[in-house]
Amino acid sequence: MSSTITISDEDFLKFKEYFYRKTGIIFDYSKRYFVDKRLIERIEATESENFRSYFNMLRFEASGNELQSLVNTMTVNETYFFREEYQFKCLVNSLLDEITRKKTDKSPIRIWSVPSSSGEEPYSIAIYLLEHWAGIEEWDVEIMSSDIDTEIIAQAKQGHYSARSVQHLPKTFLAKYFHYQDDGYQICDELRAAVEFSRVNIMEPSEVRAYRNMDIIFCRNLLIYFDDAARRQVAEMFFDAMKAGGFVCLGHSESMSRISSLFRVRKFPEAIVYQKPWEA
Amino acid sequence: MKHILVIDDAATVRLYHRNILETAGYSVSEAINGIEALEKALVKSYDLYVVDVNMPKLDGYGFLKEFRRHEDITQAPAIMVSTEAGTHDKALGYAAGANLYLTKPIKPNELLSYTRLLLGDVA
Amino acid sequence: MAIVKNQTPHIQCVNHDERIAERDFEGLVEELNSDNPTERRWAVRDLTKMPEASSTLVARLKFEDDASVRAAILNALAHLGDNVAIAGLVSCLRSEDAALRNEAIEVLKEAPEGVEPIINNLLNDADSDVRIFAVNILESLRHNNVEQWLINVIEKDPHVNVCATALDLLSEVGTEHSIPALKQLKIRFVSEPYIGFSVDLALKRIEEGSH
Repeated sequence: MSSTITISDEDFLKFKEYFYRKTGIIFDYSKRYFVDKRLIERIEATESENFRSYFNMLRFEASGNELQSLVNTMTVNETYFFREEYQFKCLVNSLLDEITRKKTDKSPIRIWSVPSSSGEEPYSIAIYLLEHWAGIEEWDVEIMSSDIDTEIIAQAKQGHYSARSVQHLPKTFLAKYFHYQDDGYQICDELRAAVEFSRVNIMEPSEVRAYRNMDIIFCRNLLIYFDDAARRQVAEMFFDAMKAGGFVCLGHSESMSRISSLFRVRKFPEAIVYQKPWEA
Repeated sequence: MKHILVIDDAATVRLYHRNILETAGYSVSEAINGIEALEKALVKSYDLYVVDVNMPKLDGYGFLKEFRRHEDITQAPAIMVSTEAGTHDKALGYAAGANLYLTKPIKPNELLSYTRLLLGDVA
Repeated sequence: MAIVKNQTPHIQCVNHDERIAERDFEGLVEELNSDNPTERRWAVRDLTKMPEASSTLVARLKFEDDASVRAAILNALAHLGDNVAIAGLVSCLRSEDAALRNEAIEVLKEAPEGVEPIINNLLNDADSDVRIFAVNILESLRHNNVEQWLINVIEKDPHVNVCATALDLLSEVGTEHSIPALKQLKIRFVSEPYIGFSVDLALKRIEEGSH
């Protein structure tokens, strides 16, 4: 059955403004077809009568579940090695140098990657440090990575990946850090040993409290799925988990402008990153 | 074409300012609060900032103070636009680094003539 | 040097967790006066679980100058949500400090249940700035009455900027019910181009939206 639901120009504008306010994501007219199609999908999936009743539900629903579903449909959340690589470049070209310049002792630099998902992000960080950061000769780095889902953590610890997941890795790194096994790519034990995986619910202050003195937190493409209050509270817990002068890296479609005011906006050649102020 | 960043949490206000400025031949970008404005202004230099005062996360004073600290960034003039008309509020606006303080609601000619004045586009 | 595992088994728990101060109410209140913002923040976090903490936190808020501690207090008050806490948050709307005002609005928006009973009072406050903030708070209230509150504002509020703020929200949530009040408002502020623009926009959205 073909859909009889239509999205008028004014509906589109209204939706566009609302979605922008909530997420920071802007859809211009060139995305009109994409947006309409997905909106109609959600209108049908929720058995709403039309855009108006759907929008009304979206806006006033206390749980915020529909907004989360909608963000899911409107964004691509795929995890693979070297995803959003510009941030890893920023890490090795800018952030670590600033951190080491200001460090007063030789204690390890602490990096926390949340959520770990199946491990692509923390392992990418490890590879990047080993391959692209000269400072690794001089400094110790601890890479911690957490997720709420114990099954995915087990998978991350195992470190076995599909061809799709490693497709953006340079071939030399693939050859160096992986071997082909069971129709996929098995990450080497050296890297498996380099990342400390743990289970944490980042919404639970008593659990996050154990994480301290982080120099850098990667939290990409997660907070966008949380409601206003939750994402602010998580960011404030990160604030407590960090050293003064530490950095938070968010996903490319996320902005601290929708999350928290506690961090300073820092511009580096490769990326915008958020910093816990020194004064605090 | 000169590029103006309009910073206001109200979508209607952004659209109103955009219409006025675009009709006069300026290019306009938008930001919803002071943090988003910084994210944009630190990456691209605008010729003028039109800044609301009361906004969530980072207000207009906070934006201007932080922005004016960046000596590495081209400093452009800023018009602060507020619902608050008191002398105390104006003083805060100028102290934060505003070049001009206007009280809402704004008339199109008012915005346009001050914009042209600050940008040196006087006919 | 290399990538290394955390030296301590599992996760490091450092000094703050081995907190010396007694974590009872009096101890926490004392810690609120610590010179160290991190300690103050943790005191606030722990006080959040104590229903009797609201008035202490409200009092601290008035002179707390660290933004991160302030944020924690505002969160705590929203979480506590009792009358004292909500009244404390509302009192911030009258502050001279724009940042504090805006922070308070944000957490009030996140505590809609606490605000609902007082929204009428706020919308009828003598101070037009407080009325503007009240309209801002309406933005997040999940309540059937939001449109009617906004209609009341644009029908009766004498201040142009209060009406303008209500109009911005009406262009998002307005339905046919708002049309007469919108048309009336345009006449009432006929010399204000901004009102004319916003009313036309809201009307267009209502009339051209799908039905």
